[in-house]
Amino acid sequence: MLAMTQFAAASNSLFGVLGIDWKLLLLQIVAFLLLVWLLGKYVYPWLLKSVDARKQAIEDTLEAADEAKQKADKAEKEVAKMLQKAREQAADIITTAKDEATAAVENAETKARQHAETIVSNAQAEIQKNISAAKRELYNETLDLVAAATEKVTVGALAKDSLDEKLVSSALEDSKS
Amino acid sequence: MITNFAAFDLHVSIGSQTIWTIFGVPITNAVVTGFFGTLIMVIILFYAAGKVKHGKYNRFVGLVQWVFEGLLAQIDSIIPDAKLARKITPLAVTIFFSVLVNYWLSVLPGLDSVKINGVPVLRSVTADLNFTLGLALITMVTVQAYAIKHLGVLRNSERYFHNPIKDPIGAFEGLLELVGEVSRGTALALRLFGNAFAGEVLLIVIALLSSYASTVVLPVFMGFEIFIGLIQAYVFFVLTLIFTALAQSSHGPDEISPHSPTAALQTVAKQE
Repeated sequence: MLAMTQFAAASNSLFGVLGIDWKLLLLQIVAFLLLVWLLGKYVYPWLLKSVDARKQAIEDTLEAADEAKQKADKAEKEVAKMLQKAREQAADIITTAKDEATAAVENAETKARQHAETIVSNAQAEIQKNISAAKRELYNETLDLVAAATEKVTVGALAKDSLDEKLVSSALEDSKS
Repeated sequence: MITNFAAFDLHVSIGSQTIWTIFGVPITNAVVTGFFGTLIMVIILFYAAGKVKHGKYNRFVGLVQWVFEGLLAQIDSIIPDAKLARKITPLAVTIFFSVLVNYWLSVLPGLDSVKINGVPVLRSVTADLNFTLGLALITMVTVQAYAIKHLGVLRNSERYFHNPIKDPIGAFEGLLELVGEVSRGTALALRLFGNAFAGEVLLIVIALLSSYASTVVLPVFMGFEIFIGLIQAYVFFVLTLIFTALAQSSHGPDEISPHSPTAALQTVAKQE
């Protein structure tokens, strides 16, 4: 009992030296808890809200950036795909155009050749026709000349011998002209 | 030098000194300074919150918000449970700001020179064991409350109490854990008190020793004290979070911590 009393007295004096006063300690605890409650109710919620809002804004921005990046990637892929398709189409068009051009050239050549052949054949036919006509005309003229000569020879012989010469020469001149 | 020292009648009191007594409660110089410190802190935080509420920002509000955001990030990184992190935020952040502002008040000029009835009016509340012990008690009780809420009364008590016949090592480990809890709280209180008190004494002694040169010398030590104040506030804040996180992550009675003596003995037995 004496030891306990001595211990209590010693501890009291120790707390006294350290300046610990139970009433003051309790007062400080209550005051601090009140402060925590006050700040927790009226101050921190607003600061927390602003921090959360900022975090949310950053997250939204990051999300939007990510989304934009994905869209850009997608668009890039689509553009690449479209370019590939366009290249293929262009290649097809060029091939087709080349084929068509070749065909057209060949066709034109064939047609030109045929046309030339036709022209040549027509010309040959025309020439042949002209030759025939000329021959026929020459023949007819020859016939006429012969007939005329014959007629004159015959008529001169009947009249005079000198006349024969004149007739022949005039016939020859006529034929020349 | 020693004669001069004695001539100044330097009297260092570990406990804060009573100025008045109201309803039997002593109002000490630390309480008076603490009241003003708390008032400054409340004004600053209410001002910042009011500005944030109305979306009006300035550099000072930005600074408060930046500090708050940093503390919040620290809380989130130390306490894995997001809900608990938000619950402990008011206490941890109030501890930080409270310790910081009150510690910095000890740097105010006039320390130990402005007196009422021979008692210095300015004494940082962080250099008063009633305050630091109160903070430590609040922290330890809060940590225990969250541990009980998380683990349950029985599982939480099993952290400390084991059947010594069935599990003598576990019982010893529990005893050590119990002593650890008490020592953590005590260390929390004494660390802050020791630093703040030593800081105040250091400033007084430097002022006395440097005499007229104190105008040049003291600012250096004041800057140092401001830095120490920031460190102490941060240490108290972080330790509060660590103790909370430790209480939450405590293993059950059937689980053995890989760092515990039991686990070490089991490893040795397996190797043999």
